[in-house]
Amino acid sequence: MKDELFTMTPDLPGMAPEMVARWQEELRRNALRMKHFSEMIMNPKEPEIGPTPREELYRKNKSRLYRYESKRTIKTPLLFVPNLGISRPYIFDLMRKGSFIEHMTERGFDFFLVDWGVFGPEDNDLTFEYAATKILPRMARKALEASGAKEISVLGYCMGAPLSLSWLGSTPEFPLKNYVDMAGPVDFSKIGLFGLWLDPRFFDADKYVDTLGAIPADMVKMGFKLLKPTMDVSTNLNLWWNLWNPDYVAGFTALNKWANEYLPFPGEFFRQWVKEFYQQNKLIKGELRMDGRPVRLESIRCPVLAVGAKEDNIAPPDCVRPLVHAVSSSDTEYVELPGGHISLIAGRGASVHCWPKVASWLEARS
Amino acid sequence: MADQAGAQQLFDLWKKQVEEGTRAWLKMAGQGQSPDPQAFWRPFMDQGMQAWSKVMTQGQPSPDLMAQWKQFLDQWIAAWSKVLEQAMGTESFAQAMGKQLEGFLNQAGPVKKAAEQHIEATLAGLGVPSRSQVVGIAKQIIALEEKIDAVDDRLDTMLKRLEELTAAVRKDRA
Repeated sequence: MKDELFTMTPDLPGMAPEMVARWQEELRRNALRMKHFSEMIMNPKEPEIGPTPREELYRKNKSRLYRYESKRTIKTPLLFVPNLGISRPYIFDLMRKGSFIEHMTERGFDFFLVDWGVFGPEDNDLTFEYAATKILPRMARKALEASGAKEISVLGYCMGAPLSLSWLGSTPEFPLKNYVDMAGPVDFSKIGLFGLWLDPRFFDADKYVDTLGAIPADMVKMGFKLLKPTMDVSTNLNLWWNLWNPDYVAGFTALNKWANEYLPFPGEFFRQWVKEFYQQNKLIKGELRMDGRPVRLESIRCPVLAVGAKEDNIAPPDCVRPLVHAVSSSDTEYVELPGGHISLIAGRGASVHCWPKVASWLEARS
Repeated sequence: MADQAGAQQLFDLWKKQVEEGTRAWLKMAGQGQSPDPQAFWRPFMDQGMQAWSKVMTQGQPSPDLMAQWKQFLDQWIAAWSKVLEQAMGTESFAQAMGKQLEGFLNQAGPVKKAAEQHIEATLAGLGVPSRSQVVGIAKQIIALEEKIDAVDDRLDTMLKRLEELTAAVRKDRA
């Protein structure tokens, strides 16, 4: 009966049959929009996130190391280091057929993910240095032990890139096979709006941390929303436009859950992150020290791939690209792909442009 | 025909309002150089005009109107986004934001401290552990975990050494 309703072709005088069919299609879409909208309001479904099977390999305080199920046909394991705070890492394994991790494990990578976790007031003393020199190396060692490999590739996404580079640049003896920087800022003089807003002339990081202790999730959310104030309007407009399509609705529900789940920053971590990276740009200048050791990007000699996103306003391409010139590797590549900071790694565009590129580059060198 | 002229007038009025609004907005944001709102609005306005005249002149109503309206809104949002980005990318905006944040911190700091002291005193009076005491215990657990990890690391190193030594001794004996 439902199908008949939409396939009936009334004979409208003066209107061409093709036009009638197109109006019918438009009406069908509107009926579906109403149906899906009422379902979203009356009976909202919790999206199924993180579908790729995994095991917890190691835990330290709030942080976890996960190993994903895979055929493990590729010899060198891969350690994925995402951002600490801001957002949850399930964006990388958002949904079936829409997951970077699923793509990589299907290609045969032995995939390890660092989930930094959600920090509370008891973690306010945790510094960037501690995360980079105490937590990360231990995670990497556990991953190496579990895989039985002698070397490991590291992939840093967003803040995960400066975090992992701070560790790797200060420990040249670590058996690093390949390094991939995905939308990770390296030269903070070209970081865009955040760089301007966090300029020491306008932003007193010490006062901020001393007063608030930690950076609340709401503050983090406000900062990111301000970066693109029209984002919510265009997201909702696109939702309305595609609301007839159940696949789009499923994807939107999962992404929307993630996009509204902001995480706080430990206070001391934020202080060091803002002062030494955003305000003093120490990483690219070679002035950064971690655990008493200098961080030298030129001590990285393995193959390096840097991936920038054309419309990234959090880590613009200009602040990602300098990595390939700062390392001493003879095998370096920089690619700029379509999309923004998130759509570089999540979504349909990512599955076409970014995932195959990163997987193929690593495959050839693993 | 009269409808078309009326619609055109309305569109012109709206366009004028948007331009004036943009100028005022940028002026408020303390933009140094003279802004050119036309640069942002022109592409979507041209397309909007085209879509408008098409709708007005075509014979039968077409569902394409919906797609054109969506496109129009997309361009409108994109234009706003560029205007806001330009305004927010100025030093005066960053300075204003910094001042506002400082004002907030100046007010929030003493209020937060007073509230914490008051809550601590109330909870102590009731014999209930306060937030800072719970946080203190959590910190001790974290420090303990760190010590266990350090012992674990040393054990790993010693085991590795032991294995190497055992292998060397076996090799010698063989």
